[in-house]
Amino acid sequence: MNLLNPLAFLFALLAVPIVLLYLLRLQRREQSVSSTLLWRQVTMDREANMLWQRLRRNLLLFLQLATLAFFIFALARPYVNLPGAVSGRSIVLLDASASMQATDVKPSRFEAARAHVRNAINSLGVNDRMTLIVVDGAPRALSTLTGDKSQLFDALESARPSLDAADWSAAIALAVATGAGNDDTTTLVVSDGANADDLRLLTGKARFIPIGSSGDNIAISTLTLRRTVRGLSAFVRVTNHGARDDRVLVSLRADGALVDARTLDVPAGKSAEWTIGNINPNVTHVYAEIDEAKHNALDLDDVAHAINATNTTRRALLLTRGNRFLEQALATLPGLRVTRAVTAPLGVQNYDLYVLDSMTMPLPAQANALLIGAQSVFTTSEVFSNTAYVRTESHPIARNVDWRNVNVLDARRVNAPDWLRPVIESQGGPLVLAGESPDEALQRVVVIPFDLRRSDLPLQIAFPILIANSVEWLAPAQGLNVPLSVKPGEVMPMPENTRVTLPSGEEVIAGRRGFAQTNQVGVYAFDTGRAQGAFAVNFNNTSESRIAPNPDLQVGNADATSAQPAAVPTSQREFWHWLAVLALILLIVEWWIYQQGVPTFQRKA
Amino acid sequence: MLSEAFLQSLRTLRLNAPRRRIGTLTGERRSMKRGRSVEFADYRNYTPGDDPRRVDWNIYARLERPYIKLFEDEEDLTTHILLDDSPSMFWQPEDGPDAGHLAQKWMCAAQLAVVLGYITLASGDKIVLETSSFQRFGPKRGVASAAALIAFVERVSATDKRNLRSPNPGGRPSLNAWLKRYALDARPGLCILISDMLDEGGYAEGFNALGNSRLDVNLLHTLSPDELDPQFTGDLRLKDVETTHLQDMSLDDAVINQYRQRLVAWSEEIAANVRRRGGRYHLTDTSLSLEEIVLKDLRRAEWLI
Repeated sequence: MNLLNPLAFLFALLAVPIVLLYLLRLQRREQSVSSTLLWRQVTMDREANMLWQRLRRNLLLFLQLATLAFFIFALARPYVNLPGAVSGRSIVLLDASASMQATDVKPSRFEAARAHVRNAINSLGVNDRMTLIVVDGAPRALSTLTGDKSQLFDALESARPSLDAADWSAAIALAVATGAGNDDTTTLVVSDGANADDLRLLTGKARFIPIGSSGDNIAISTLTLRRTVRGLSAFVRVTNHGARDDRVLVSLRADGALVDARTLDVPAGKSAEWTIGNINPNVTHVYAEIDEAKHNALDLDDVAHAINATNTTRRALLLTRGNRFLEQALATLPGLRVTRAVTAPLGVQNYDLYVLDSMTMPLPAQANALLIGAQSVFTTSEVFSNTAYVRTESHPIARNVDWRNVNVLDARRVNAPDWLRPVIESQGGPLVLAGESPDEALQRVVVIPFDLRRSDLPLQIAFPILIANSVEWLAPAQGLNVPLSVKPGEVMPMPENTRVTLPSGEEVIAGRRGFAQTNQVGVYAFDTGRAQGAFAVNFNNTSESRIAPNPDLQVGNADATSAQPAAVPTSQREFWHWLAVLALILLIVEWWIYQQGVPTFQRKA
Repeated sequence: MLSEAFLQSLRTLRLNAPRRRIGTLTGERRSMKRGRSVEFADYRNYTPGDDPRRVDWNIYARLERPYIKLFEDEEDLTTHILLDDSPSMFWQPEDGPDAGHLAQKWMCAAQLAVVLGYITLASGDKIVLETSSFQRFGPKRGVASAAALIAFVERVSATDKRNLRSPNPGGRPSLNAWLKRYALDARPGLCILISDMLDEGGYAEGFNALGNSRLDVNLLHTLSPDELDPQFTGDLRLKDVETTHLQDMSLDDAVINQYRQRLVAWSEEIAANVRRRGGRYHLTDTSLSLEEIVLKDLRRAEWLI
């Protein structure tokens, strides 16, 4: 045991005034008695246990001196060298990925990891410094190179497990930026080791504390809805990510009401499917849940939500002189009612979508339009025939569209405003354009500046996909072009000031960059003012559902696991606070004894 | 000092003197000598020179031998009341309710001396009252001396109270010295010592001297409530009012209990000493009323009949 502040023993001089005060306090009060004859005899009787009497008489003084001694000892900051998790400079990478929420270790892997880090903080010596980095989808340092244990504890308590996979590459970059790899720095990785192969890139001294004991996990990996002639049909896939066969009870609920439940045998590493038909097509929300499983350590992936958008009907006006391919492509789209016209209708009737096939009409404000061939919305400058495919830009309408085999005889060059961007470009100019108008006249526009009859596009597989994508983008099922299901953490493109109700019931207003608080699994309802709808956030993360721990993970350039520590570091462990507590207890005892009244100088009542 | 009604109630009482002592005058007490009173005592053989009038002729008729009839000779009794007026008898707690007044303990002892003296005078016996400061009253006989007795005790009270303000421990005689000196010229009789017995030198020698002078020692042991059950605690320096001796004590309940046990043992030791000499012992709590002590306790203890 050593002392950090031996000068504190100078405070021992305080014992002198305590003794002096005690002696002063012991000035006895004189009390006359008729005779001291009997009192002297009493004193003689008590001679036998005089030592105890003296001790008892001086008990308060002893207690006061002992209290002072403990306080001084505490001020001297004694410490002992104990083996600790880390010493010197250390960087702790705390895995906060979704798999750390597994409960194979009670109460959870994350809490077990937190306990390890807590021990590491406790074992920090006087001159030790620690950086705490929490590793999830966006690793960040919660505290940087500090020896302040309270700050480290606060930072540790603020860490929460996420629904993301851990981005170990970013975490390692962050660790290196804070000193990992230096000779005097030890990196402590506290993780289950699942999906953490990148950790072998870590440099410098590293220790790995493996968390987790089992990889047993059952997940609902798929839940989809499909409109059939007999109503709504749901498809559920349950996957066993563990190493043991299991029998699970899965239930399906629609708008909160139980539709069906089924026991599925799911072999280890395999999946089981279940299709449920005849669901009321008018329900808005369907979710599947694993109610019972023997070997299931992660709850996050036990539920999946699906939004039923098949029951919404969008209205489209098709102005054409006759185009079988186009009409057929539109007619097959679910939830789209197409009104065909050869001339512009007289009455003012708003449609969700206007499809102008080489015809023109005055469009109402905020109209969504698919403009094919010659049109009058945008001016055209020339006709070009050099339509060899060049590239496809990343855009929702171009998803899965293979344009390489499409031949176009000629097309018009559109004098497009800035917001109307080419999606598919040819050598001569853009063949498909799309954009969102900033002014009131239009909302979303897709332009195909060539006559379909002067190309083989309608004969290609790309055509129905392009039309379907365009319709979905121009007139989304819920009035807003948002995906029905996203992963946690994804940003939803939403108009500013859209009110979003979280699964917890909390209401949030979307900002300029959309809605980003998708960190709860469940159904989110939104209201843009003009359109209402819902979307689901599903865990649906196969890699994180594979929670099998990897205790033999190679961390850094050596196999440094907790089972085979290269060298046990020691840390200086202070224990002054225990001494302070003891001193406080002694002080309370001294006060209590004084109150119990050894020295009361008054006559009893 | 005493009410008239209380004095009246005392007229019917007599001091119980179990052993007979010779007096000089014919009194109302039976003497050890056989004499000419009316109360038969014993027979003895006739010897020449005896008064023929005292031969019991009835016995002679039956036994044909002359026997002399002996009678109790009734004589007067001298009652010696020895009143301790040492400073300890005037002690009372400094912060007690009676602070500033004459100590309850002394008042009780003085009143008991007056009461016993009055009963003696009312019985026609002779009284001598002496204090430990050698102030003496008597010998006196007859109720007429009662007023003088009361005046004497009041004077002693006043004198001693004055003297207490200038204590002179060296000038006071010890209990033993006082009793021995008194025994030198005391006539045989009943001796009643009223004292707290708190004396450094003890009491045995004094009792021996009184016994040698054929005085029956009876002890009225007067102790105040604060001596029987001390009510002060804490770290104290106890000062003896007689010797001015200082004793440091840390008083707590355990020490007080030990004091009580010591007090009981001490008083029992004194009582045994007195009874071994044929006397009586009575421990009096001076906080009790005089009527209760005299009419109840002393009668029950057969001091008074």
